[in-house]
Amino acid sequence: MTAQPHILVIDDEAQILRALRTILTAKQFKVSVASRGEEGLALAAAQPPDLIILDLSLPDMDGVEVCARLREWTQVPIIILSVRESERDKVIALDKGADDYLTKPFGIDELLARIRVALRHSAQTLGTQKSQIISAGNVVIDLASHVVTREGQEVKLTATEFNLLAYLAANAGRVLTNQSILSHVWDPAEADRVEYLRVYIRQLRKKLEDDPDHPCIIRNEPGIGYRFILDE
Amino acid sequence: MRLNPFRRFKGFRGLEYLLAILVTALFTLVFLPFRTAGGQDHTVFSLLYLLPVVISSVLWGLGPGALVALISFLALNYFFVPPYYTLLVHHTQDLLVLIVFLIVSITIGQLVGRVSKSLAESTARERDAIHLYELIMHLAGLQDEQEIVSALAEQTLIAFRAGRVDVLVEQQGSTPAHHIKLEDRSRLDQPAEENPSYIAPLQFARGFLGEIKVWRGKSLLTPAEERLLHTFASQGVLALERVRLSQAASRTRLLEESDRFKSSLLSSVSHELRSPLSTIKAAVTSLRSGTVEWDTAARADLLAAVEEETDHLNQLVGNLLNMSRIEAGALKPERSWNSLAEIVSSALERTRQQTEKHIIDVDVSADLPLVPVDYFQIEQVFVNLISNSSKYSPDGTTITIHASVIGDDQLQVTVKNQGPPVPAEHLERIFDKFYRVTAADRVTGAGLGLSICKGIIEAHGGRIWAKNLEKGFAFNFTLSRFWEGRSPGISQEMVDE
Repeated sequence: MTAQPHILVIDDEAQILRALRTILTAKQFKVSVASRGEEGLALAAAQPPDLIILDLSLPDMDGVEVCARLREWTQVPIIILSVRESERDKVIALDKGADDYLTKPFGIDELLARIRVALRHSAQTLGTQKSQIISAGNVVIDLASHVVTREGQEVKLTATEFNLLAYLAANAGRVLTNQSILSHVWDPAEADRVEYLRVYIRQLRKKLEDDPDHPCIIRNEPGIGYRFILDE
Repeated sequence: MRLNPFRRFKGFRGLEYLLAILVTALFTLVFLPFRTAGGQDHTVFSLLYLLPVVISSVLWGLGPGALVALISFLALNYFFVPPYYTLLVHHTQDLLVLIVFLIVSITIGQLVGRVSKSLAESTARERDAIHLYELIMHLAGLQDEQEIVSALAEQTLIAFRAGRVDVLVEQQGSTPAHHIKLEDRSRLDQPAEENPSYIAPLQFARGFLGEIKVWRGKSLLTPAEERLLHTFASQGVLALERVRLSQAASRTRLLEESDRFKSSLLSSVSHELRSPLSTIKAAVTSLRSGTVEWDTAARADLLAAVEEETDHLNQLVGNLLNMSRIEAGALKPERSWNSLAEIVSSALERTRQQTEKHIIDVDVSADLPLVPVDYFQIEQVFVNLISNSSKYSPDGTTITIHASVIGDDQLQVTVKNQGPPVPAEHLERIFDKFYRVTAADRVTGAGLGLSICKGIIEAHGGRIWAKNLEKGFAFNFTLSRFWEGRSPGISQEMVDE
């Protein structure tokens, strides 16, 4: 990563492009913009960015398709922008490899926070030594030795609970859809059994969170899935 | 459309004439042995010969009756009036007897024939009337074109004792084509013919609608039956037209309603959209104008107003979209097993700014059974109820959200506030579109929020109602714990250690 991260914004609304370009440039990012899907794909290939902000409704092609075509050759973090009414497209885009999403209209602090998390996550992925010890709040997870401790005390987890936690933690910071969690931790054939996920997430929260009713480690992504929050 | 009009006469009517001649011959053979040599008794035979005339007239009608009268006259003359075996007559009185016989027999034949014919006709008319009555009974009250066409085909098959009936109604504009084929195998005595015995068009004022085809093997339809079939066709057309007219009327009513809905929506929305827009415009132009130097607190205030109003606008747009989906009947919950606690926490997140000045007390356990609901729709219900509660209750009061299991199969949710009571006569109507208890300019909102809640809860098969409390006001709604009769395959207790 260069000192000045390069962000590509693909959105068909001129006003959003103008606002994002101004704000992100002020925040010391290098910004390029595209208003069409093809243009965005070409720009991404010509000058590989460090992060892509992608609107789902583009004039020439579906944002989901842009996402899928990018994932054919690059693992660059993608943050999806969409309106609240296209939840289904959002889930498809996340399953196609997008890292995060923001619902329009959004606050700029939220966008900047997501950009920071995505850039850090991609730096970790690129780094050769992928951490086997993950800590979040009072919880420390050792992926290699299957040991989870909370405030230093070992927490007993069943095999399913550990697999679920390990999958969430390995993808910390990313939004994971219900379907992708179910098909990784359980079985692709069980991808619709959201009820399993709900019950096991509740179980994990009871064992790991300080206040299971206001979870800080395993966060809810409304109607989409869950996200594991690492220490800042 | 009459097919091959000559077939009717071939063999069929001829047989009756032949039978009439045979009957006369038979009677002649029976009478012959009783003939006396003198031949003075032919007056008796002239009486006896009235018998075949009457029999033929009764059995086969006017034509054969008249023929028998003529043949009997000749036979009487030939065999029974001396000199035998000639048509000569010697005595004047014999001639008189013969002439009287001819006149009497023809008259009797005609009278008897006419009576039996009119009897047959009235029997046929009665039968037709019964068939027609049956048809009308079956068509009455049908509201579906396909059902009408089937009933028409079925009744035609029965009434005409047909082997096969084929009713076709052609496609017209948006109404699809209907085609019903019925067969009675017991009557379909021969392989399906190429051509139907008769085709009656289904004709209405504005043109051709379709046709009824009847196959009945060798026995063709009589003119009376053809008339009946045409009557069947016109009854079918009447029934179809009745359905189309009533459909057109209900479409018009729907359009009118949706038109009324859209105009009230427009008037309500244009007001609703403009007020936050004016705030935003005012705040932003003040900040941009170089004439005033704003201090930090004032800038923060103006900007907070802009942010609040954009959230407000966003919520309004969401509600509008939901409302138009409910109106279009397109609000289909995408159910999955969800935890109410998660839904409530994300609804609170979305309403945080609106509820800043209220105390929120949440009692929705994450250990409650999962509910099969559309996450975003139920979240919208909570958002609207919370936003309504914060709008109508004084700052600093408490909004309570509570959920619990009711009976064996339901969860009941209550959103309580400490606002003023709603007059009893408004309690039902607050869930109506654009309905407001207070005057429109005193409280913001398009009057859509609660009717959206009602639309969503009802689409989930639940019930929503409002209630005045001793100190405050409460919204209640229920959600089923079962999805197509099933509960989730797993529960908290199953994994609890």
